[in-house]
Amino acid sequence: MLQPEASDYLIETLREKCPAVDSQLKEESEEDNTPSPFSFTPQRIHLHKDHELFEDGDIHRHLYLQNLSTSEPDDKPKLSVSEFACHISGCSQLFSSVEEYEHHYNSLHRHVCCSCRRSLPSARLLDIHIQEWHDTLFTVLAQRQDMYQCLVEGCGQKFRTSKQRKDHLIRIHKYPADFRFDKTKKGKGTRGMKSEQQSDTAMEVTEDVCEVMCDTESDQTEGGEAMEPHSCAGAAVHQAISAPAEMHSDLSAAGHGATNMSTEQGRPRYSYRVPKNVCFGQGSVRGFRARGRRK
Amino acid sequence: MWRLNTVHHKAGRAGSSLEELKLKRREHEKALRQARRDRQLVSKRLLLNEDEEQPGSPMDTNSGDQVVDLFGKLKHGGQEREAHLKALSKALRSPSAQLTFVKLENSMHLLVGLLSGSDAQCRLQAVRCLHELSNSHHPNVVPACLPATPYLLTYLSGQSTKFTELCLYTLGNLCPDSEVVREKLLAQGIIPALANCIQNQRHSLAVVEAAGFTLSQLLQAKDAAEKVIPMVLASGLPPHLLSVLTPDPQFGLAPAIECAWCLHYLTCSNVDNRLLLAHGALARCSTLLVSLGDAVAKGDKEGGMELLVWPLLRCVGNLLSSGPMEDLSSQVGDVSLLAALCALLQAYLHSQPALARECAWVLNNLTADSSVFCSALLALSLVPGLIQLLPFSQGINTMVLRVLGNIAHKKKEHCVQLAQCGLLPALCATLKMADQEMVTLSLEVLFLLVTSSPRVAEDFVRQSGLSLLEAIQYNSEGEVRLRATHLLEHHLISHHMVDRVTSQ
Repeated sequence: MLQPEASDYLIETLREKCPAVDSQLKEESEEDNTPSPFSFTPQRIHLHKDHELFEDGDIHRHLYLQNLSTSEPDDKPKLSVSEFACHISGCSQLFSSVEEYEHHYNSLHRHVCCSCRRSLPSARLLDIHIQEWHDTLFTVLAQRQDMYQCLVEGCGQKFRTSKQRKDHLIRIHKYPADFRFDKTKKGKGTRGMKSEQQSDTAMEVTEDVCEVMCDTESDQTEGGEAMEPHSCAGAAVHQAISAPAEMHSDLSAAGHGATNMSTEQGRPRYSYRVPKNVCFGQGSVRGFRARGRRK
Repeated sequence: MWRLNTVHHKAGRAGSSLEELKLKRREHEKALRQARRDRQLVSKRLLLNEDEEQPGSPMDTNSGDQVVDLFGKLKHGGQEREAHLKALSKALRSPSAQLTFVKLENSMHLLVGLLSGSDAQCRLQAVRCLHELSNSHHPNVVPACLPATPYLLTYLSGQSTKFTELCLYTLGNLCPDSEVVREKLLAQGIIPALANCIQNQRHSLAVVEAAGFTLSQLLQAKDAAEKVIPMVLASGLPPHLLSVLTPDPQFGLAPAIECAWCLHYLTCSNVDNRLLLAHGALARCSTLLVSLGDAVAKGDKEGGMELLVWPLLRCVGNLLSSGPMEDLSSQVGDVSLLAALCALLQAYLHSQPALARECAWVLNNLTADSSVFCSALLALSLVPGLIQLLPFSQGINTMVLRVLGNIAHKKKEHCVQLAQCGLLPALCATLKMADQEMVTLSLEVLFLLVTSSPRVAEDFVRQSGLSLLEAIQYNSEGEVRLRATHLLEHHLISHHMVDRVTSQ
């Protein structure tokens, strides 16, 4: 959609003249020549004798003709309620209520790291993950300062290394040693989903998860610039439903920036792509964080 | 004479439990559905003798021999003919006996002779025999009955009601079997005969019902549009059919049901709906639906009423799509039809969801090209009830959403009112449904709403609409992604940015 510079400008403009810009923006958007994809027009519908919509009524009529109708209410319930589904491509799980859907979506799709596709349970943990794992600036600063935050909200303490943080979590906050969201990142970040599963046998999975995966388009990869948002070109998971996926996030950076990871993962493997102009940057979905998002 | 047999299952055959009967019925239903898919949905009706309560199981063992024996006796004539014929008609209840009979040389010739003879009692028994034969589904039996048809048709203008009824049902049973049979009947003048019958025997509703049934059998045939319907329309039948529609409180719904189904077959064929409109079909059917809807709203739901509601809905629905709306809306009358349709929809939602779906279809046809009806739905406070139907599948919610889309499409003010009725939260749920058609339609309606006024757009944003749309940008369907993106980029952009700013 918008390049980062333009979006900043827009935010500034809005801050100055919020009310008026509303209509101004609308006008501008209507002037641009993108044809509207909306096509609904009211129309009267004619149904012929054999149309499927008429099936039940016809059957009812013929049962009556053949003296088989009964006024006794049938035991089988006939009215059915629509199901809900997660339509994130590749997920396609079904739910019988909106609440179930929401729970699924919020747990698995909302706080997803764009760079490494991991799903985090909360915005805060996602922030910390991105910072510690995909932000080269963090890596640089961490060499000189205490950068590793305690994961417990409100604690506020920071540590020089992830090991120190882990010790703190265990000693002070009584966390288990194998807390899922504080695993040390093993090796370089070039593993695909499959190999990670195989190598990490100690990991448990509590629920079927679907990871939303992002892949950078190779022509849009900007070298090394961690602060820049990039668009993710695909959000498809091929083995989503049955494959156990990772729930943990490695919060300690192994010194490799996201750039390496993403270029090495750059092989296209999704059946479709999200439109190029979807922005993953500052202005976009809270859950889909770009690397090095400015706070 | 038909009554909706509400105690049929209780008087079940000895040895059949309720469960067995239900199972049988369900299997039968499955067979009917398959037959319909094969375009072979055919039903015959068997008029029971006065002393019978329901068709008993035929005593198959002896019937073949009995038939041969009785035929032999009948050939010799004599005073006993009537008794023999009566026995023969009972024996002919059995399918194998039917086959045996038609294979006997000159059997039909004999029967026709008795049918057309001077002995009235013999005629009656002879027609009973033919009636049993007409009930057969075996391809050899019905064509064998053809020699009798000119007489059956002639007797339609007679005055003996019971006899006429039997003739009619026999003819009605013969109709669906083959094109050859139908062609013969048409050539022999069945349509004018039926027209005469309905017109001149209005005093006997049993006869009217039977005539309606027979006509419906003709009209349901595959080739009806080319061969039958033009003749029916030209015959002067339509106004008589329409006049029968109002149910007689004493006799019951049956004649109206038959005539309504005839009208349905006429209207859905689209051969010449202008003629039907000229006779006031739309007005008549609408008025009747209004009174049925009123009855239902008062809690007065008569058993079997849906058998009449169903064809009426279809007539109205299809007539509404057969011309310019300006001409049609005057025929529909005032907007009370809207309330009636909503009442019927609610009343049958659980017991007959397909009927509810057809009500929604008619609502669509009323609102698609008429701002009067759209405004009326809002003014009559019927919209909240419709919104509550959005969870229900099997085509109900898609049709209801179309209706709401029709309303939104007319005026921006309508959109604001729809939002006030609570459509936005409902859409936030429908956008998450598994049915992609629902998702797409929901986006379309959402588009209409948020572009109608900034207030509505703000409401949507306040209900976490943006993150909902952002998730939809990852939908597996391209058309859906496109719409979500378009909404975000072009119509919610200002809100989009403001929201992001404030949320940081």
